[in-house]
Amino acid sequence: MSEARLVVGPFNRVEGDLEVHLDVTEGQVASARVTAPLFRGFEQMLEGKDPRDALTVTPRICGICSISQSAAAARALGAAAGMEPTPQGAAMAALIHAVENASDHLIHFNLFFMPDFTRPAYAGQPWHRRVVDRFTAGQGGAVRAAVEARAQLMHILGLMAGKWPHTLAIQPGGVTLAPGPREKVRIEITLRAFRRYLETTVFGGKLEDFAGIETVSSLMRWDRGDAGLFIEIAQALDLDRLGRGSGRYLSFGAYPLAEGHGFAPGLWEGGPVPFDPSAIVEDLSHAWMLGPAAHPSTGETRPDAAMRSEAYSWCKAPRLAGRPVEVGALARQVVDGHPLAQALAGGGVLARVAGRLLELARTQVLMEHLCAAIETNARFMSGPVGRIENGHGAGLVEAARGALGHWLRVEKGRIAGYQIIAPTTWNFSPRDAAGIPGPLEAALVGAPVGEGEASPVAVQHIVRSFDPCMVCTVH
Amino acid sequence: MSQIETFYDVMRRQGITRRSFMKYCSLTASALGLGPAFVPKIAHAMETKPRTPVIWVHGLECTCCSESFIRSAHPLAKDVVLSMISLDYDDTLMAAAGTQAEAALQDTIDKYKGNYILAVEGNPPLNEDGMFCIVGGKPFVDQLKHAAEHAKAIISWGACASYGCVQAAAPNPTRATPVHKVITDKPIIKVPGCPPIAEVMTGVITYMLTFDRLPTLDRQGRPEMFYSQRIHDKCYRRPHFDAGQFVEHWDDENARKGYCLYKMGCKGPTTYNACSTIRWNDGVSFPIQSGHGCIGCSEDGFWDQGSFYDRLTNIKQFGIEANADVIGGTAALAVGGAVAAHAAVSALKRAQQKNDARKAAAKTQSSKTRSSVDKNEDA
Repeated sequence: MSEARLVVGPFNRVEGDLEVHLDVTEGQVASARVTAPLFRGFEQMLEGKDPRDALTVTPRICGICSISQSAAAARALGAAAGMEPTPQGAAMAALIHAVENASDHLIHFNLFFMPDFTRPAYAGQPWHRRVVDRFTAGQGGAVRAAVEARAQLMHILGLMAGKWPHTLAIQPGGVTLAPGPREKVRIEITLRAFRRYLETTVFGGKLEDFAGIETVSSLMRWDRGDAGLFIEIAQALDLDRLGRGSGRYLSFGAYPLAEGHGFAPGLWEGGPVPFDPSAIVEDLSHAWMLGPAAHPSTGETRPDAAMRSEAYSWCKAPRLAGRPVEVGALARQVVDGHPLAQALAGGGVLARVAGRLLELARTQVLMEHLCAAIETNARFMSGPVGRIENGHGAGLVEAARGALGHWLRVEKGRIAGYQIIAPTTWNFSPRDAAGIPGPLEAALVGAPVGEGEASPVAVQHIVRSFDPCMVCTVH
Repeated sequence: MSQIETFYDVMRRQGITRRSFMKYCSLTASALGLGPAFVPKIAHAMETKPRTPVIWVHGLECTCCSESFIRSAHPLAKDVVLSMISLDYDDTLMAAAGTQAEAALQDTIDKYKGNYILAVEGNPPLNEDGMFCIVGGKPFVDQLKHAAEHAKAIISWGACASYGCVQAAAPNPTRATPVHKVITDKPIIKVPGCPPIAEVMTGVITYMLTFDRLPTLDRQGRPEMFYSQRIHDKCYRRPHFDAGQFVEHWDDENARKGYCLYKMGCKGPTTYNACSTIRWNDGVSFPIQSGHGCIGCSEDGFWDQGSFYDRLTNIKQFGIEANADVIGGTAALAVGGAVAAHAAVSALKRAQQKNDARKAAAKTQSSKTRSSVDKNEDA
């Protein structure tokens, strides 16, 4: 087998539908094309609606990161209406959002990522039996524990946000429920239980110890909990070299609070560089979309029904100053300045998954702080969003999977334009007009493909290390 | 069929004790609105009946239904039901990948022809020959029709499969189409909501798995046991509605006192669902309890009825119980149209047949879907 073409997909345990086309030369991926085979057209539906309805419609883009969508919509709407949440309202919105992000990281690790190592291909490995016990889909001990722990953690969402998925509580002015002492105590208890789960099961040690790791070599010595099992596997399979990234990372900044972001915004290219949101352009050269490349504030969504042959995805190709960027938990931690994340920058599967575990530990600490700071007699909503006649605004937030932006334009009280760039739109974007591949397409180059492997396991690991959310991507 | 395990076998294999099993049976009975007398019946059915295979497919959707489902309150319900499902085919949760996964689907169809339940999450977009949603190189609508051909019944999970949901919002760019408009020759149970409540989902599926028949459905095809009352009927803020005490602005004094959200656009008075009784996230709360009005996500067309924050008009206050069904109808007409007509008629009918329906749920099946399901009952 010197040359071959492979189509990998559909991927299971990925949120939504995805296909990857691979050109394989000499047992390695020579080039990859990532296809999002699904299109829903949310941006078109929003046009002509009351702007406030974006708060209800956009969360339904995704049942896994619906709060991120609602947080972005609330921010965009607030920017257009010229209103800010109250400090306590912002803190509660951050707490609600953090619960969802932490849940997503937990599910990715336990249900989507680790089960790949239970494959018979790894049967000879000394860790295989332990992985099978812990991570067999639907039955492994870790899988059940994670689903249970997440359901418990989400009591906070039930309490503060009424229901999850598709929460309605986050508004431009804050949140709809003013938590009283009862809510505060229940949140505290829930967080305490979640910490216990994380420390006994996921990390096998104090969260602060894991979050305090500064170098890759001390990370590789972490041998406790399911995190330790992952590190052992990563070492055995050299997962850091698999699917290496460009080292260019973007974060819009997570959890905007009165005193600043929980995790800072910015751009990283070997070091912090200035980030200019106006340099974002969505390129449509290889997407089944019509229209010019444009900044999302003026962009449009017109599907190309002819599905022209030079294009190959429903996903647009967002670029920052003409270049692709990687987004996600690793990007966020790198940009926020965590020493371990910065030491992992540019890495592959190990770096992305370790970045997510690191963020999970840090998010728990952040949630505890937010809860302790709840002032039950404060104001949690600055006021109602009245009708917005004309205006525009952007809502830039961080979903679990990375930077999420909503760009809203209102004319005569109705939505005149609504553009969304989801995290996986960045990571899984197709090529742009200059032929530069998206981050996943680039990361797949060089991945080993075994003789006769129809669905190469290395490709599976790389794709899943990004934690893709295809329904958000193609909204 | 004889090689297929029973539910009880599946549970035993997973190390579930007899005691937990009985507890599960009684919880199921109460979730389904059945009396304690049904507990041994459920237990007997689960010990002796071969488990019903379930195939779970995803079309144009957001996976919120799966998400809701795996957080059902009773751990046994989700472990057992979930593991039974993943034994067969579910492309979000199962272990296999790629062509292997497609083969698993075909195997399940072949093996259980005419006996499996097809659970559909999301819906097929029909524009451009279905090209907006492609599974394994083929339009999802083809997979759906193929899997439906030999199914004994179909569950339409959530607003997407039941009605279209937000992706079908005007101008419905992909022509997202509810399942019953594509599959017309099979019994379809609609379990609307965006997403449906976890306990409603496990309740419906457990009922079908246990009794091997469809639950009693209303005229819109929704299980009566969960969709026969409006949010408003059992809303804990209802006394404030009756007393004329309303929230006027977010976070005003009235909001803090937990007054009625009707003026903030709450659709509770026209929405048939169990949110105000079963509640969400393990019964912790529901949207109205979190201070935001209901948006009516389990009603057909909820996504295109004017702003979610416009209040319902023409709703009467006092004496509402005397003519609840009529009120439900009128109020919904103000926002909706066709939906309301349905709701009112079915509600009236339901009121007349209430007692019969309850018995029917356990014993006989009055709906015309019975014959096609029962054919397989003792196969």
